[in-house]
Amino acid sequence: MTSDELDPLIHVPTRLKIVATLAALPDGDALSFTRLQDMIGLTPGNLIIHLRKLEEAGYLSSEKTGNGSASRTTVALTKDGRAALDAYTEALRGLLGGL
Amino acid sequence: MSPTPDTTAGNGGSFGPEQAAALLDQTTHQARRKFQPNPPVLNVFRAIVVLVAFGGIWASVRGQHPYTGPSAWAITLAYVLIAIVIGWSASALRRAGAGVTGPTQRARNVGIGVLLVAWVLVYVFMGALYHAGVSHEIIYGLYPATAPLMIVGLVGAANAAGREDWPMVGTTLPVAIVAAIAAFGGPVNAWLIMGIGLCAAMLGAAAVAIWQQRRSVVRP
Repeated sequence: MTSDELDPLIHVPTRLKIVATLAALPDGDALSFTRLQDMIGLTPGNLIIHLRKLEEAGYLSSEKTGNGSASRTTVALTKDGRAALDAYTEALRGLLGGL
Repeated sequence: MSPTPDTTAGNGGSFGPEQAAALLDQTTHQARRKFQPNPPVLNVFRAIVVLVAFGGIWASVRGQHPYTGPSAWAITLAYVLIAIVIGWSASALRRAGAGVTGPTQRARNVGIGVLLVAWVLVYVFMGALYHAGVSHEIIYGLYPATAPLMIVGLVGAANAAGREDWPMVGTTLPVAIVAAIAAFGGPVNAWLIMGIGLCAAMLGAAAVAIWQQRRSVVRP
């Protein structure tokens, strides 16, 4: 097994941090954009780019509530996203075992 | 948290499996710690508080013949310490749950409400016992030493089991078990058994929380 076989969507430091952070929540729970940004330490623009890529792949879902300054966006890992992280972790284990 | 260099190309660049495993573990540990409503340091503080509070009450009732109940200073000390623990716990819960929404959070909030009602009802029942003329040994000794934490421990364990929050079940169920066993100690020694038993349970919960936070995601 080589590192090329790791899911390229997750195998990027920032996206790995996003997915790992959301995976630490119980299944079905969501995290606000602002708290995720605070925990990851990214600018809003940079975070949005990575979230969009993960959302397009079906790894996470986002929900926006309210309007204007009262609007609030939450993001959550989907079942596919959790399964992808599990598969990624398993692949990492395989790679590290073979090193 | 220091910003991590990103390789937005999507292939990870020079980001190797070793680095990925380290980052995955580090991020998971940090996230678990930040989402933890019962941090180990709080559980250690709770352990000290129960030992001092219950120990103080035990010292104040030791040697009473006939049994009249805990002294005012021991009750005041216990209430002050419990108020500090409640304040710290509420703050930790609010910090951990900031920005988090979903079924687990809703279930936790409902569970806290039920827990508070159970806590109040235990003392309402104590009033009924007093009204019925139950002895001081029971009403100012055995009952307040054991019943509130037995009931609250069981309600907390049931709530946590409903959320499949097994570490919390492992924290709350021993509280109820300790309370049931302490009742055999009688009106005086029940306080001491509760203090020591709860202290051990809280230290155990702190140890489990530390292990949970630090266990590796990648390396079994």
